[in-house]
Amino acid sequence: MTTPIASPSVRAQAREQGIDLAARAQELGRSQLTADDLSPKPSVAAGQASTQASDATRYWDVDHAQYGPVREEATSRFAQIAAQNLGAANTLIPQVTHHDRANVAALEAFRAELKAEAKARGIKLTALAFQAKALAVALRAFPKFNASLSPDGKTLTFKDFAHIGIAVDTPHGLMVPVVRDLDRKGLWQIASEIADLAARAQERKVGPDEMGGASMTITNLGGIGGSAFTPIVNPPEVAILGITKAEMTPVWDGSAFQPVPMLPLDLSYDHRVINGAEAARFMVHFAGLLADPRRMMI
Amino acid sequence: MADNHADFIVLGAGPGGYACAFRAADLGRKVVLVDPRATLGGVCLNEGCIPSKALLHAAQVLREARHGGDWGLNFAAPTVDLDALRAKKDGIVSQLTGGLGALSKRRKVQVVRGSARFTDAKTLEIDGKTWSFEQAVIAVGSSPIQLPGWPEDDRIWDSTAALELRFLPERLAIVGGGIIGLEMATVYAALGSQVTVIELADQIAPGADAEAAGILHAAMAQEGVTLHTSTKTARVEASKDGLTLHCEGAFAGTLEADAIIQAVGRRSNAFGVAPEAAGIAVSDRGIIEVNASCQTTVPGIFAIGDVTGNPMLAHRATHQGHVAAEVASGHAAALDTDLIPSVAYTAPELAWVGLTAEQAKAQNIAHKVTGFPWAASGRNLASGGGDGLTKLVYCPNTQRLLGATLVGTNAGELLAEATLAIEMGACLQDLALSVHAHPTLSETLAFAAERALGTLTDL
Repeated sequence: MTTPIASPSVRAQAREQGIDLAARAQELGRSQLTADDLSPKPSVAAGQASTQASDATRYWDVDHAQYGPVREEATSRFAQIAAQNLGAANTLIPQVTHHDRANVAALEAFRAELKAEAKARGIKLTALAFQAKALAVALRAFPKFNASLSPDGKTLTFKDFAHIGIAVDTPHGLMVPVVRDLDRKGLWQIASEIADLAARAQERKVGPDEMGGASMTITNLGGIGGSAFTPIVNPPEVAILGITKAEMTPVWDGSAFQPVPMLPLDLSYDHRVINGAEAARFMVHFAGLLADPRRMMI
Repeated sequence: MADNHADFIVLGAGPGGYACAFRAADLGRKVVLVDPRATLGGVCLNEGCIPSKALLHAAQVLREARHGGDWGLNFAAPTVDLDALRAKKDGIVSQLTGGLGALSKRRKVQVVRGSARFTDAKTLEIDGKTWSFEQAVIAVGSSPIQLPGWPEDDRIWDSTAALELRFLPERLAIVGGGIIGLEMATVYAALGSQVTVIELADQIAPGADAEAAGILHAAMAQEGVTLHTSTKTARVEASKDGLTLHCEGAFAGTLEADAIIQAVGRRSNAFGVAPEAAGIAVSDRGIIEVNASCQTTVPGIFAIGDVTGNPMLAHRATHQGHVAAEVASGHAAALDTDLIPSVAYTAPELAWVGLTAEQAKAQNIAHKVTGFPWAASGRNLASGGGDGLTKLVYCPNTQRLLGATLVGTNAGELLAEATLAIEMGACLQDLALSVHAHPTLSETLAFAAERALGTLTDL
């Protein structure tokens, strides 16, 4: 970052206030600074939101205290950035959410078989590790889901790697660390990498190089509950896979109802890149990999 | 125990020193200002910028009278009363130095006449008296360089002596074709001397844009000044009848002169205050090491102006003076710019600020050049101005202005717009879209910008 353009009065004021103009310019993403940018708490996110949305959101501006006791808490910079990204993604990208279910009886049986070995290795072989691996394998079969659309919409970039972002719920907000090259890694390694990243995310100790660059993101609420939801695509990715809690479901086998553990899958995708039939085929393929994990090998 | 104590002491009352003293006083400090001269103002007011401008004004009047015939205005050949001219110049100088005296009284600045030397990092000696101090500012300026091996002769002048108008030499040689040498050439040529300038570099006004310097070169030659560039003065001999200069280089041979002005640069006076006694880092050429806040390597001691090195210019010293006073008084201040304008008050004037094309090229900075010739300026032609040029250096990507050079009448005044534009980060469009009054010379800046933008309709 080179020295930003600033008039002599702005430079002098910054010096008096102890503001590093180069750092401030980088923070604001600008090459030129004015006196307005030296205010104690510049917030480009807040500033833009308040000017752009002022008309649409004026009914949100309510004095809540008149209805009962309230408490105010400033949102963190982290949360503001996330809010801005989610807002942009939801406003600018036409999204469709496709719902499906996967039979995970075989997968759960396999996991149960490996329980003793997992204990010995000190690794918890989670369902998420299988889901991430299966997603990476599915992405290799469906390259369009492993792509990004340029901001001007004119170029689709196909990625020759399969990195999966794992949405992690932390005390300071949602974080998405990324596990790299899952198609080339074994389940033990994937499980341990996910566990490591998730643990460090809780302490906010994930490096910037461990986030970003994902092919697709998985957001798994299975540990908490729910039967379906509609996640928001995390651009520049073109799809996101939401997973909720597997449920024992009566499935007709032709002669009788059988109890089968079915895993609800919710795929939100960028309809500019992916059409409905492609999404349905992708999900059938993905559900098939989960139903018979041996298929990940072939 | 010292004889005296100073809260804030400024050594040297030139444009840097008095500005520093006055600013500190305005910030509530008790200030002592030390200078060996009887009057305030230093070289600039007493024997530099101001008296030279007075003589240059007289030179301009003479030139215009001589060219009156071109306009059908015929004057008798002017006679120059050197004593009256000197008195007029001295009167202007006393008016200004007297004004400074009044300004210092109003601010209750204690002026001490004398020369100061450090005895350690907390004390000074001023003409036998010891002074302790809280904070000190070194602003003792510079002196003309005396070339070694030259004879002792009172017909060999430095710039100070040249401004005294001792007599009007029939043949005057000026060694050094920088700003000072060229201004002296302008004055003495107008007064009637046969002037020859000898410059070591391959152009006059070294450091300035070569094309612009070439325009000045041609204009001065037309006024009868002989200019030898790429020429070295190897030896000077003095005899009863005159002075002989032996030259080498592009001009090889001898020159006879009735007086010589040495104008080969200035040397810091820092050693005069014994900075080493205070432990201040100083180069072997007397340049005191300072940061952008004018702090020396010794806490509480500041240095400003010519003792801090090039460019040795009054306006830089003044700004540094304010910075030192503010920093010493607890403010965060710094001279955080490289934009120190240079002006040669020649005929025509030559002025520049920021990067020249040559510097941008040498420093490998992406740049483009645009210009506007003053031959196409209505105001210039109508005012009897000669050849002139406005030249802008700008960034090809952002079109931000990086430097400007002007040569022509009042170029020194016109330069301020370019300086402000560069400091404000202006681009060519900013210059072109700002409405300039017509007809003015300032239009040439907007025209040069328009030319680069392809919107010019005056060429």
